[in-house]
Amino acid sequence: MSLQTPPPASIGLPRLIAGGLVRYGLILALVAVFAAFSVVTPTFLTPANLQSILVNNFTLLAIVSVAMTFAVASGGIDLSVGTAMDFASFAFVSLVLAGQPVAVAALAGLAAGAFVGAFNALLISAIGVSPFLATLGTLFIGRSVQQLLTNGGNPVYLPPNGVPEAFRFLGHGTIAGFPVPLAAAIVVIAAAAVVFARTRFGRVILSIGIQPGVVRYSGIAAPAHVAVTFILVGLIAAIAGLILTATVTTYIPSSGNAFLLNAIGATFIGTTLSPLGRPNVGGTVLGALLLSIVANGLLLTDLNFYWQQVGTGTLIFAVLALSFINRKAAGA
Amino acid sequence: MSAEVEFAPSGFSAVEPPPRPVGNFAAAALRFGSLIAFAAILIIFSLTAPYFLSIGNIGNVLGQSAISGVLAIGLTIVLIAGGSNVVTGGIDLSLAANMGLSAAVYVSLTQLGYSDATAIAATILTGALIGTVNAIAVVYAGIVPLLATLAVMNVVAGLELVLTGNTVLPASTPFLSALSASDPFGIPVLAYVLLGFTAITTAIVQYTPLGLRLYAVGEFPDAARAAGLPLRRLLAGAFVASGVSGGIAGILSVSYLSGSTTGAGEMLLPVVVTALLGSVFSRRLVPTVTGTLLSALLVGFLVNGFQLLNISSTLVSGVQGVLILIVVSATTLLRRQEA
Repeated sequence: MSLQTPPPASIGLPRLIAGGLVRYGLILALVAVFAAFSVVTPTFLTPANLQSILVNNFTLLAIVSVAMTFAVASGGIDLSVGTAMDFASFAFVSLVLAGQPVAVAALAGLAAGAFVGAFNALLISAIGVSPFLATLGTLFIGRSVQQLLTNGGNPVYLPPNGVPEAFRFLGHGTIAGFPVPLAAAIVVIAAAAVVFARTRFGRVILSIGIQPGVVRYSGIAAPAHVAVTFILVGLIAAIAGLILTATVTTYIPSSGNAFLLNAIGATFIGTTLSPLGRPNVGGTVLGALLLSIVANGLLLTDLNFYWQQVGTGTLIFAVLALSFINRKAAGA
Repeated sequence: MSAEVEFAPSGFSAVEPPPRPVGNFAAAALRFGSLIAFAAILIIFSLTAPYFLSIGNIGNVLGQSAISGVLAIGLTIVLIAGGSNVVTGGIDLSLAANMGLSAAVYVSLTQLGYSDATAIAATILTGALIGTVNAIAVVYAGIVPLLATLAVMNVVAGLELVLTGNTVLPASTPFLSALSASDPFGIPVLAYVLLGFTAITTAIVQYTPLGLRLYAVGEFPDAARAAGLPLRRLLAGAFVASGVSGGIAGILSVSYLSGSTTGAGEMLLPVVVTALLGSVFSRRLVPTVTGTLLSALLVGFLVNGFQLLNISSTLVSGVQGVLILIVVSATTLLRRQEA
């Protein structure tokens, strides 16, 4: 991931600076945040901490954000990504606990995530409910179902001595020194990037998000594409659910929802990277990276934990404001 | 309730179908259908739980619905002025956090020895200030409301934590006691507050030219602009009004809980559901203040009936989810059928 140097901001034309901010606001923010934390906290710029950012903060958020990017690209939003994570996590842990092979349990987890996506797809494509409301309903129902399944929200633990090797490998293993969760995130990111850049499906999804009417009139089966998109969102979120479970060897009801707002934030911050403000995988990944760096860096400062939330929120707000003001100025 | 999510560059897409004219059959059927469903729920509960239909219990439900009702009505104003598109149109996700911070401000001030009057003024000002930040972000910076209010929500929730240290702060003042009391019939004062608040906002939103303009801005922005309405000011005003309701809800929650507690954010999604559900109680399926009140009471009665019948409260969010999906699906299918 190369952080390009932004164009020199010393040129005296305010408009040019503003123009640069439109395009490179996110990258500037990344560089600024990175530099600020390097100066303020002595431990930020250590290899151990940088790895911690990637493995502990970035991995799961990036995967969920990529899922969200698909939903947003198709012109919708998916508020139930956390639900898909949770269902996947629950199926995974339950089956491993029941003595099933890890591979079978993982497949069941992926199926559970896809099932949540399929439920959304049914509501959105077959009935025509708006994605926001459909996935909001799914979120509510999912919360209830999880509480029913767990006697009111009790976590499901795997006994410390009963964790299969393959399970542990998924959460804590390394491939040639590379943490498995991070490798999974990179595979998901790369696959998503290829789908958007190289496949017809990706182009159709983006067109549905931009010009639904035109897509309809050009004879493309838009509802079918949207349905596939939402199933895909559930499936990708399920991957995050599996990794989360494998890392903590526990299923905690409704824990996936913690990722929802940041995933939305990363996706929309990422749209600032595209000249026309479109969702894009690269931008989403940088957005997730920005949020991860901020979360990690603020933790290292002596700042009161609660101020950290204020800091993160203000930063997201500032990046969005910059981007939208400039987008408006650019007439897009 | 056509809440199509689109990201068309202009925000006003040509493919969005125009709202149906007044009095069409499907909408009427749905409207009465939802009222009938509401009545059916009340009847079932009153048959199965004897205490359900007593004046005291109804008053309780009204009182318990006061906080979410005030918040949902605030959100309704934004829904009206912002249009029905939930992403690019009107939504205020910062409302619940606003209530939490407002409550914290109220409690902190009374603990510092300030009078109720000062605390009330400061709390409502806090709410208005948060609304103003939203208004500036949405109307003048042009950030999509969903995102702007999401970011503001995070900041506000953080500020509440900073102020309270994530602890429960007790508060007890003469005003709060009066607010949490009940009248001789056993009806909580909060119930009257909810009815009064609804009456005032209904009067303004449904019966004044100002309210009509809010609808015009939300539903037909281009026409409203052509007619010379101050679009930006009206939309900004809606966000400020929503912020003020957050402040008022903050005061109510301090009275209801005898202090400020954490976890205000949990209110957000129920409030969004309440406000969105509200439009099925209106003739043209648009957000209305009275519709939102009905929907808040429907949710309140559901929760209450479940409690009386000893049904697990974990089902409540599931029922809310099913409810919104049924209502929205029915609306969508009816609209499609008639189109």
